[in-house]
Amino acid sequence: MKRFLSFLLALCLAAGISGCASTASQEQPRLKLVASFYPMYIILLNLTDGIPNVQVDSMAGQQTGCLHDFQMQTDDMKNLETADAFIINGAGMESFLDKVTGELPSLSVINSSEGIALIPSGEDEHGHEEHTEGDGHDHSEFNPHVWVSISNCITQVETIRDGLMALDPQFADKYQSNSDQYVAKLTELRDRMHRELDSLSSRDIITFHEAFPYFAHEFGLHIVSVINREPGSEPNARELADTIRLVRSTGVKALFVEPQYPKTAADIVGSETEAKVYVLDPLVTGEETKDAYLNAMEKNLQVLLEALAS
Amino acid sequence: MDAIYSFFQQLPFEWTQFHFMVNALLAVLIITPLFGLTGTMIVNNKMSFFSDALGHSALTGIAIGVMLGIDNYLLSMLGFALLFALGISAIIESGTSSSDTIIGVFSSAGVALGIVLLSINGGFSKYSNYLIGDILSVQGGELLLLLFVLVLVAALWVFSFNRLMTASLNPDLAVSKKINVRLYKNLFVIAIAIIVTVSIKWVGILIINSLLVLPAAAARNIARSMRSYHGLSVLFSMASGLVGLILSYYLGTAAGGTIVLAAAVLFFVTFFIHRFRARA
Repeated sequence: MKRFLSFLLALCLAAGISGCASTASQEQPRLKLVASFYPMYIILLNLTDGIPNVQVDSMAGQQTGCLHDFQMQTDDMKNLETADAFIINGAGMESFLDKVTGELPSLSVINSSEGIALIPSGEDEHGHEEHTEGDGHDHSEFNPHVWVSISNCITQVETIRDGLMALDPQFADKYQSNSDQYVAKLTELRDRMHRELDSLSSRDIITFHEAFPYFAHEFGLHIVSVINREPGSEPNARELADTIRLVRSTGVKALFVEPQYPKTAADIVGSETEAKVYVLDPLVTGEETKDAYLNAMEKNLQVLLEALAS
Repeated sequence: MDAIYSFFQQLPFEWTQFHFMVNALLAVLIITPLFGLTGTMIVNNKMSFFSDALGHSALTGIAIGVMLGIDNYLLSMLGFALLFALGISAIIESGTSSSDTIIGVFSSAGVALGIVLLSINGGFSKYSNYLIGDILSVQGGELLLLLFVLVLVAALWVFSFNRLMTASLNPDLAVSKKINVRLYKNLFVIAIAIIVTVSIKWVGILIINSLLVLPAAAARNIARSMRSYHGLSVLFSMASGLVGLILSYYLGTAAGGTIVLAAAVLFFVTFFIHRFRARA
């Protein structure tokens, strides 16, 4: 029995160590940047393209998704200790930020959402109130999913660019040109999405996690209801029934789930109403390539066209 | 299925208009007698801690399923639960430590291993709905599976109740009657493992054991014979399931927790009935 247990313990330890050591580098980089999570990481990949000896790490792993689900581990703190800058989304997304700045007061933090007008997070007890900007709640909490709007994402790119230029003035020109290129691509995509989406007659959608207010605001979509305000908690029977009634009475045609979360609640609502279930990506996970954000947004455009144009 | 839905739609209640509520109701009507029936034996054999450990092992089963890339975690959960259950009972039989210690060790090791394995793949919270269960999402095919298990367990009870009972209450007597004690003990352990595994997704790791233990414990408070003990246990189990589910709809609370609370209320009511009787 004892032997079995110590074997089990050894197994756990080995698994724990090997799980996180993959990002270690052989050489000491000139500049080490740590992104708090995926969207920031993609922006950094674009901005640092072609700049020598820069190491870019993403703190939350690929599978984590939104940082609601993220628990900081010792390795992450150790990684930050040697970083030159910590690039965050801000707006409350990094709930562990106090812990980080408390431990590492000299770490320079680039808050990419600085200067973006934030939408208050529309919490309510029943999940069926209309979600609009500033609907009378005096919540100090804001919705942190700013990057899902392309315009905000552009602002974030530029904020991070300014931070990097100050941090690494030697390559300021390169950061500037990288940023210009990426912003041009984002702008082109945004304008194209406006052209295709602005003419849609039906604009009512229901989402299953509060990731889309900024996106909806940008493209003039109307979020009738958000079902799971808290990720990972399933709605109770009362809330499901209310949602089904709401969908039946308003004739909403499309329910949008996110690839990162289970879609059982959406399937229930979908099977009891005329509405269909589609996957809309809030871009918190995906490929680790420069164009990942653009590609995922492109896919969202196709999904929206399919869901709403009929 | 359509016939069932249209039957319920004619009832004058608000909640029967929704298919998901009808599905949940059917699931409750299948799961609760199952739990009531096995619960009696668990309470008799002082195995409530054992079934709890089995529930906890489901976490590791899910983690293994995730690592193997299986979509349906039922198989990996079932496989691991069986291994776990037979492992526990084999080690208890070896008599090195007391059974509650061994079960405690297995239970915590099972949870810890599950958490560690799931955290490797990032994000434990994706599986958090297994903790409290999600009976509202049960679908037609899954109901059939539950029904199948109910029939299986009922058949096991009908055909081997006396031998199961003798083997668990008095092993010496059982041996003298040429009953294979180990076979029946293992059969019972396997039955619990299957029941816990197929219902864990709907009932939840944290409360599955309360549903196994509470109705049987309540029935034991007031039952006067073996027959009434089993009958009352099934009755209490179904009653708390029904009341809990319907209350959860009107109160807007989590279904699983409300069902367990209803069962807990029943336990205390029967406890005071028992006390009152004893005094009278």
